[in-house]
Amino acid sequence: MSVFMDLNLRPTAERSTLQSLLDTAAHLGYSAVAINYVFEPTSKKKQEIPKPTPTSELFDKLPTVQGRSRPIRVLNRLTIVASDASHFRPSAPEFRSFDLLAIHPTSEKLFHAACMTFDVDIICVTVTEKLPFFFKRAPVSGAVERGLVFELCYVPAIRDSTTRRYTIANAVCLLESCKGRNVILSSGAEKPLELRGPYDIANLGLLFGLSEGDAKEAVSSTCRSAVLHGVHTLQVSADTRAPASCCQKPGRPPAAPSTPRDCAQAPPTRPAQTPPTSRKSPIPGQRLQTNLQPREPDPPPQ
Amino acid sequence: MVRQKSRYLLCELNVSDRSRLLLLDDRAVREAVRATVARIHGDYGAALCSLRFSVKYLNAHTGIVFLRCPKNCYRLIWSALPFITSVENQGQKVPCFLNCLHVGGTIRTCQKFLIRYNTQQLHRMLPQCKSEEEKLQVRKAILNCSLIKRNEGGFEDEAESGEDDEE
Repeated sequence: MSVFMDLNLRPTAERSTLQSLLDTAAHLGYSAVAINYVFEPTSKKKQEIPKPTPTSELFDKLPTVQGRSRPIRVLNRLTIVASDASHFRPSAPEFRSFDLLAIHPTSEKLFHAACMTFDVDIICVTVTEKLPFFFKRAPVSGAVERGLVFELCYVPAIRDSTTRRYTIANAVCLLESCKGRNVILSSGAEKPLELRGPYDIANLGLLFGLSEGDAKEAVSSTCRSAVLHGVHTLQVSADTRAPASCCQKPGRPPAAPSTPRDCAQAPPTRPAQTPPTSRKSPIPGQRLQTNLQPREPDPPPQ
Repeated sequence: MVRQKSRYLLCELNVSDRSRLLLLDDRAVREAVRATVARIHGDYGAALCSLRFSVKYLNAHTGIVFLRCPKNCYRLIWSALPFITSVENQGQKVPCFLNCLHVGGTIRTCQKFLIRYNTQQLHRMLPQCKSEEEKLQVRKAILNCSLIKRNEGGFEDEAESGEDDEE
């Protein structure tokens, strides 16, 4: 039994829509979802990065996942839509409060920089318009080595016919360069009727050109490795920031004071799950071990 | 080459409000699926749908649908199911989506899965029961869910009546 995740739910202003979205996701069998806050910096005026509302405030009661006994796990994620590297400050303190960081590059230069050097977890691929640049093998394989994942959204394809063509074209283009590994399929849904079940999405992956095992992985174990990557980055950066006196229990990562994490959620280091079904890929935890890169030094504490 | 093999897709229709679910019948669902497959896969898909595709069973109360497809092209038809956004019946459009729960080679395997699934659903509803008598009814429905030879047509009704009590 694999764990299915949907790492892209768009929140609207109404809380009831978000609650029904979460109920539908739990009914369909997703064990974890991520609420995606999109941030689009423009060079004209300085904008604030949106702060995520802590999950305990948003929902009173988390619904139980279909087929399991645990409640659904809700994460926070930030997507930065950018075309210029100067818009993205790698170690901004606001980024600490998000569990996952994603970047949506709109230029070739930024895509290359994001794959090779940026401290993100997910790279979004445009699905609503023609690709502004082509994927080259070098940055894509560099990203795969570092443990980043590429994300494809399927909800624009459901809404409209022209975006469907762009989605399939862009997905096929991506898969040609990355050979089907490190790809996640997520929804980008705003309404509960736009969500689809995990097996249906795995079947959609077949349309995009993934093999059967890769398609199922795209909804389960690759998502999990992206989440672990995000959590790991948070821990590492928290380690380098917080002094040793904050850490009381050995073996438990020190929580930086600015991270409003819901204590009721499952701890970041989850118990070992069954290994993924495909023969090719190792257990997600192993993939993570080989990708430890020296992080850029944080600014010295005041 | 003895017999033509098929695949039975067990799907669940999800709607935003359950009262509109009662309007749907199997012909509406069949037309919706056929139209979507033609939209996504073109004339080839439309031709495949005309072969041995049919809606074998539809339960308007719980939204369970059995779709039958030929074995060699069931993946194509399945890949078009996520693109269904609404089902139309007599001029009324019901926005919904299909969620595929199980693929089986025979109706009997799908029924076995459906019993297990309904039992799980009832277990999920049990903590949400408000009164004692609802709890008793749900527990009775759970215990009654079993595939007995003489009662094969009847077990689904018992499982549904347990779910209907929760509405």
